[in-house]
Order: sequence, then C-alpha cells, then structure tokens
Amino acid sequence: MLSKLAWKASRQLSVNLNSRIAPILAPSATHRSQRGICTTPKVQERLATKQVQKHDWNRAVSEAEKIVGYPTSFLSLRWLLSDEIANVALHLRKLVGSNHPLLKTAKNLLYNGKNTMQAWGLIVLLISKAAGHAPTIPDMEQDKSAGVLHSQRALAEVTEMIRISHLVHRSLVNLQRGTEAERDTSTYGDMTFGNKIGLLSGDYLLGHSCAELAALRNQELVALMSSAVRDFAESEFVGDRDEQNNPLPSKPDPENRNKRVEDVDFNDDKILDPYDIQSVMGIPEKEWELRHILSAGSLLGKSCQGALKLAGLPSDIQRRGYLFGKHLSLAWQTCIDMEPFQNPSSSYDGTFSLVSAPVLFHLEYDPSLYDEIEKGKVSVENIDYKKIHAEVLSGPGLEKTKELQKKHISAAMKVLDEFPENDARQALQNIILAMQDL
Amino acid sequence: MACVSSSRRVCARAQEKLCQLLVVKNNAVRPLSSPSAGGTVVLSGGRYAPFAARKYSSQVSSSKGGYAPWLPSASAIFYNPDPGSPRHQLNGFLTLSRTISSARQFSTAFRAESEYSHNYSKSGSVVTSPKYSCNKPCTNTTHHSCIRTYSSVHTQQPAGPVREIQVDPYLLLEDDLKYIYDDIRKLLLQASSQMELKTISSYYFDGQGKALRPMVVMLMARAVNYHMNKESGNLLERQRQIAIFAEMVHSASLVHDDVIDNSDFRRGKPSVNVLFNHKRVTMAGDYILAIASIIIAGLKNDDVTIILCQILTDLVQGEFMQLGSKETENERFAHYLTKTYRKTASLIANTLKGAAVLAGAEESLSELAFQYGRNIGLAFQLVDDLLDFVSSAEQMGKPTAADLKLGLATAPVLFACEKFPELNPMIMRRFQEPGDVERAFELVHKSHGLEQTRFLARKHCIEAIRLAQEMADSPYQKALCVVSDLVINRMK
Repeated sequence: MLSKLAWKASRQLSVNLNSRIAPILAPSATHRSQRGICTTPKVQERLATKQVQKHDWNRAVSEAEKIVGYPTSFLSLRWLLSDEIANVALHLRKLVGSNHPLLKTAKNLLYNGKNTMQAWGLIVLLISKAAGHAPTIPDMEQDKSAGVLHSQRALAEVTEMIRISHLVHRSLVNLQRGTEAERDTSTYGDMTFGNKIGLLSGDYLLGHSCAELAALRNQELVALMSSAVRDFAESEFVGDRDEQNNPLPSKPDPENRNKRVEDVDFNDDKILDPYDIQSVMGIPEKEWELRHILSAGSLLGKSCQGALKLAGLPSDIQRRGYLFGKHLSLAWQTCIDMEPFQNPSSSYDGTFSLVSAPVLFHLEYDPSLYDEIEKGKVSVENIDYKKIHAEVLSGPGLEKTKELQKKHISAAMKVLDEFPENDARQALQNIILAMQDL
Repeated sequence: MACVSSSRRVCARAQEKLCQLLVVKNNAVRPLSSPSAGGTVVLSGGRYAPFAARKYSSQVSSSKGGYAPWLPSASAIFYNPDPGSPRHQLNGFLTLSRTISSARQFSTAFRAESEYSHNYSKSGSVVTSPKYSCNKPCTNTTHHSCIRTYSSVHTQQPAGPVREIQVDPYLLLEDDLKYIYDDIRKLLLQASSQMELKTISSYYFDGQGKALRPMVVMLMARAVNYHMNKESGNLLERQRQIAIFAEMVHSASLVHDDVIDNSDFRRGKPSVNVLFNHKRVTMAGDYILAIASIIIAGLKNDDVTIILCQILTDLVQGEFMQLGSKETENERFAHYLTKTYRKTASLIANTLKGAAVLAGAEESLSELAFQYGRNIGLAFQLVDDLLDFVSSAEQMGKPTAADLKLGLATAPVLFACEKFPELNPMIMRRFQEPGDVERAFELVHKSHGLEQTRFLARKHCIEAIRLAQEMADSPYQKALCVVSDLVINRMK
C-alpha cells in the first residue's frame, strides 16, 4: 500500500514535470497542461493514474518511458559521440541529394513517424520490469529506481542495434551486373558509395552488439540473440523477389485453402534449426506470420526472452516473454500493414508492401490480382499500386487483417495477464490498446 | 610461396623426398647464409619419438658468407622443389633485395616502428613486453637500447637458434584440418532452409582457400596444450571450434568486402557480388557471422567470447579507417599499421589467444599467443600488400594493383613516398586522376618500397619466431616457426 502511494506521488511529480517541459516543446499544448496544474487534486489524480483513456499512442509511449527510467532510444549521447558514427554522419552528408535508400532509412530513424516508432528497447525494458527478477540477483546489478537490471538495459540497447543494423543493411542497393540500378550510370557512383557506408555502419552496429552481448557473460543469451540475427538474414530470402530484393507474394494456390498447417514457431532447444518455410508458402495467414516472425517477431521475442533469462527466471516464464514479444511485434505489423488502406479516398498514390496482410488475404480471395503482381518481377515499381489499392479496399482483405490483429493482440494480452500486476504491465497494456487505434 | 594449399598438400609427401635432394643444391645457389643456420639436429627421444619419421628435413647448411638478418630460413627453399617455377623468381628477387641494405632502410623501418609502437601503447598496449616467464627466458638479451625502447617487435638478431626440425604445418595438422571446410559447410547448410542463402554463404568454403587462420589456431592450440601438458581430445575439439570461427569470420568479411569493393575475382573464381544480388550477399555475410557466434556461444566460456567479439569491432573499425586518410607522412604510417592490425592481425591474434585461454593458460601465455598472432598477422598483411605489386593476377587468384585502384596507399607506397614526394598528392586524392595508378605503380618499383616492406614483414616474423620459441619444445611449436616462413615467402 505504501509503495502504491509513493508510486502515485511520483506519478504526479512526473505530470507536473511534464507540464513544465511541454510548453517548451509544443506551445500549442500549453493550455491543456496548465489546466492540468490548476485542477483539483482529484482531477489530477485521474489524469495521472487512469491512464490513457483515449489510448493515445504518443502518450502511452512517453508514460511508459518514465516507468523504466529514461528512454532507451538508440540515439543516445554515448552513441552519437562515437568516432565511427561521426564518421558515418560525415559521409552521409555527401550522399544528401542522391536518392540512395539509406538516406530514407536514416531519416526514418531520426524522425520517429507513426510507423517507425517501434520502441523495441522500451518494450524489452517494460517486460523486464513487469516480470521482475529472481531474488538471487545481487543488488549491484540492479537499477533500483527503474526496476530493471543494468544487464537488461544493455540488452535493450543491443536489441535496437541489431534491428537498426538490419534496417540499414536492407536499404542497400543491388548493383549486381545487369540490373537496372547498375546500368544507370548517372547514379552509379552515389549508389556505390552509399552501399559502402550502409554496409559498414550495419556491420559496425552488429559488431558492437556482439561485443556488448559478450560483456553480459551469458552464453545462452549470445546464442539466442545470434539466432535472431540469423532469422533476419533468412527473412530476406523468403519467396519471390524483384531485382532490389523487394518481396513479392507467392502465387496463390487454391489447393492451399483447405491445407491445415500447425502454427510455425521456433524449437527452443535447437536454436540452429530453421523453420520449414516451404510448407507455409501460399497460405496467406501462415505465410504472413512466417515472413514477419523472421523479419521482426523473432528479434523482439528473443530479446524479451533474453531479458527474463538475465533476470534468472525459470524457462517457462522466459518462454512467455518470447511469446509476448512475438505477438506484440506481429500486432504491430498489422498496424503498419493497414495504414496505407486506412484512408478510404481512392486517390492513393503511394506504395506499400506487397506481402502485407491485406494484399495476401485479397490474393487468396481473388487470385486474378496476381497477374498485376507478376509485372513486378523485375522491379516492384512497374506495378500499378493504385489498382491493387482499390481492389484490396473492395475485398475482404482489410477485414481479415483486423481479425488477425485482434488475434495477436489478445494473445499478447493473455501472456501479459500471467505477469504480476504492476505499473510496467499496465504500461504495456496501454501501448497495446493504443496500438489498436493507430 | 610455401603456402601449400590444400590441393598441394596431397603431393606434399612426394615433395619431401625431392626436397631432401634439393637442400644441397640450393645451398650451392644461395649466396648468403646465416651462420646461425648451421648446426645439427639433436633429437631427444621420448617426446619426439613419434616424430622421428619427420627427421627428413633436418639439414646442415654451410656457414659461408656474411650475416644477413633477413635471410629466409631454409624452409623457403625446402618448399621449392622446382627451381624453374615462378617461385624461383621470387628467390631471385629476395636475393636482390638482400643486397640492397643501407642505413637508410634501417632508419626508415625503425622510425615507422617507433610511431607504430607509440600508437599502440597509447591505445591499450599491444606492444610486446619482455615479461614472458613461460618456459625459458629469452637467451638473447643484447638489444640496442634505442631499438629496444621503440620497436614493437623487438627484433633480435639473428633469428634465433636454428630450427632443427622442418615441419610442414599442413601435413602435421592434416587430420585437424581435413574436414574443416566440410564442417563449416554443414553448419551453414543445416541452419537455414533457404537454398540461395545456403549457396551464397558457403560459396567461399569450397576448400580452395589456404586455411591459414584455422591452421595457425590449431597449431597454437596444440602447442599451448603441449606446453601445459594438457592433451585431451575434448579440449582440442573445443579449440577446433575457434579455428572454425576464425575461418568463418574471415569469410564473412570477404563477402562484405566484395560488396564494398565491387571486386571481380577472388580465389580464382568470380567473387560473390558478381553472381548474386548484393543485398542478399550482405545478408549472407550477416548470416555467416550469426552462425559463427552461435558456435562460440556453444563453448560456454565468457572470456573467450569476449576476446573473440573484440575481433568483430576491430574489423569494422579497420574498414572505417580505410575510408579516411591522414595528412602527414608520419600519421599516415601509424594509421596504416593500426588499420592493418585491426583488419587482419586482430583476427589471428585474438583467435590464438582464445585458443590459449580455453586451455586454461595463464595470462602471460595467452598474451604470448596473442603477440605471436599479431606479428604473424601483420607480416601476412604486409606481404599481401607487397604481392599486390609484384605478383601476377594469375598467381593471386585476384587482380593485382587492386589496392591502388581502390585508392589505398599501402606500405610499399608509403615507403616509396620518402624517395618520391610526388606520391603525396596522389595519396591524398586516392589515385583518382587518370594515370595515377600507373605512375604510382612505377614509382613504387623504382623506389626501395618493396624491399622495405618485406624487411618490416620479416621483422615481425622474426619476433613471432622468438615468441614461439619461448614455449615448450614440440613439433607444433616448431611448426609455428615454420609458419612465419610460409607467411613471408608465400606467392599467393
């Protein structure tokens, strides 16, 4: 009871603090926050603890960051001050003006848009706090004020490093002989240079994440996180691809409709064993799950599992951590997948992933759309995105994606319910709820 | 030259016979011979008993001629059964370089060394210190004081006592190395279900490489085990995993290098970036690395993992250093040597150290392993940079003058720079202007750059031999000495 009171008090403090910082950051918010200060304690309390009634995403995340101390955004000062990164920044400036995809990736990392706000490190810290740790962990290892272990914080950083390294490596340009990109002599120089910088920065992050992992002195964890890197690499080889390795959905096969396949997942004991990928291709839901477990769920799941491993918790609880991370990242993916289809206006002129859930579901419903997809064998840019957009909107794809989202959200929530009730768990629940409204 | 590749290993036994005959012949040809190279073999039964069969290579060489600190050891000739081969031409070249000795050469090399060691001591001291208490204290203690202070390799003249037994390391480790590529391929194939990922990632594990790194790791592992009287199959198997790790990390870096440099050939076949999608090649590199770390995690030794992960950060930092260049000559050479350590020597040094730590070696011994690896690694890269100028594309299995074309100023150019300052602006603009590469190539050949590079490499080799000799006598310890000859005299 006492601790709960203390918690509330600290909460109020943070709200006050927030109201002081808010006007500086966003003048428009001044009015609202001033009102927050002036209101009666009762109202204030409601503001502070009855969290996020509207499931506002940004608020859910910033509240959550306070719970675990300070945000673990990867762009920490320590990182920005390193020689190599300064070097990369210098070289990146030379690239400005070219259209190397690396620039876009860098921009997305710096300016958190709605979709790229995948604060994976934050999730790892929250699950660490939510699950607590074994009593055998010495005091020295703990960050008492935040309720997480120092090692878990390091792991959260490693998680983000691995993820960014993958994003960066993915944004290289294929300059293999005979490709369109290679023939375009006007951009060839920029592209080569961008590739060099991108590849090295990715390797830098990967190398440092290995070194930081090693310093945690837990070999099971090293193997676990390395296997997540393996999954990332493997994800780039699944299914058909265009010249720039953009994924294309596999050809819909009517026979697959009745095929029952068990849920694909990792075998915990045999970390080196890969998925049997071929068995699920062409079954929309499974194919989608497989692609995104490899390219996202695996890392978040294994990081959460690793965090609980560091806390000295038994393996069944570690397994829960893995499941939570996996389902959360898949739920997240549905949000990203649905976003281009949220705007009902027909004049959509952007691009979207062709292996996103709505498209895959629509292909099952209407295989004739695959003819349009086939135009993208050389480059996905040859595909009429408007046409696919319109067709998907008219079909059941979006509806089915929502169901898929519900499935993973409830699976994540269910795992969460098994953890003891505390502020970190509440914050995770808020994030999930806010995700629904994204 | 003597890098007996796996294919050549098959006929190595036949060569042995030939070589016995050739030793005499070559001695007649050689104008100079180290006095210390004389002496007979004293085989002390017991420990060497199983090894008596390899007595073939013990040799008596006449001690005529003057003293030359950079003499290639007898093994250089030992591995050259065919005097008409291109390898013989290198011997000629060596002889030539031996005759060009001047005080200037010495001073240059030593100055380079001093900057180098200074740089190292600042960044965590990789400088060899004379603290080894391993087996026997170093017998030769007459150093020139200033060399002693500045040199990172602490050259001892001459190259130490004669190597009584000439061992072929590849032959010695035949059983250890036979399946190393097979094992790596198996690991890579079983951990993925994607055909193309399997193909790309195992592309360079076709057994055509020299397998230098696994070989040195296994040699050091066995030598350390011998030194500590720890011969157990289980330990060796674990150390063998480190050898596998070394080769995998090396290949992963090759794969990524190919994408960065857009190279055409490697090991006599098209490089991966020619055959496959660059984005996929990059991922395959990450994949190899991931599998390699899983293997290391399987050793369940925290210290070893930390030592080996250091390699990865070094490799990347080395690559970053390669992107930039330094303004002044002095800075440039230090920059070059640090880069060389990070890109090449760190892998060898740290894997050797890892193998020693795994055997439970105390710090002085594991540090000795590290320093041996560092010196071998540096010598290896120096010779590599040298071969880029003198070897033909056919021999190397990759294009030559490649470094210049990539805009890199390696040791021969940096040395040549002293004689031909006109190279300076070329280095600064990274040989970008038309004709730069050809002109630089020509100037390097006109200067003493190549000899000076070889001299520096030899110094590192001599230091490596000295370190190896501090360990207990064993065939493996002998082979470690031979390795340094292989490194300095290789043709590809």
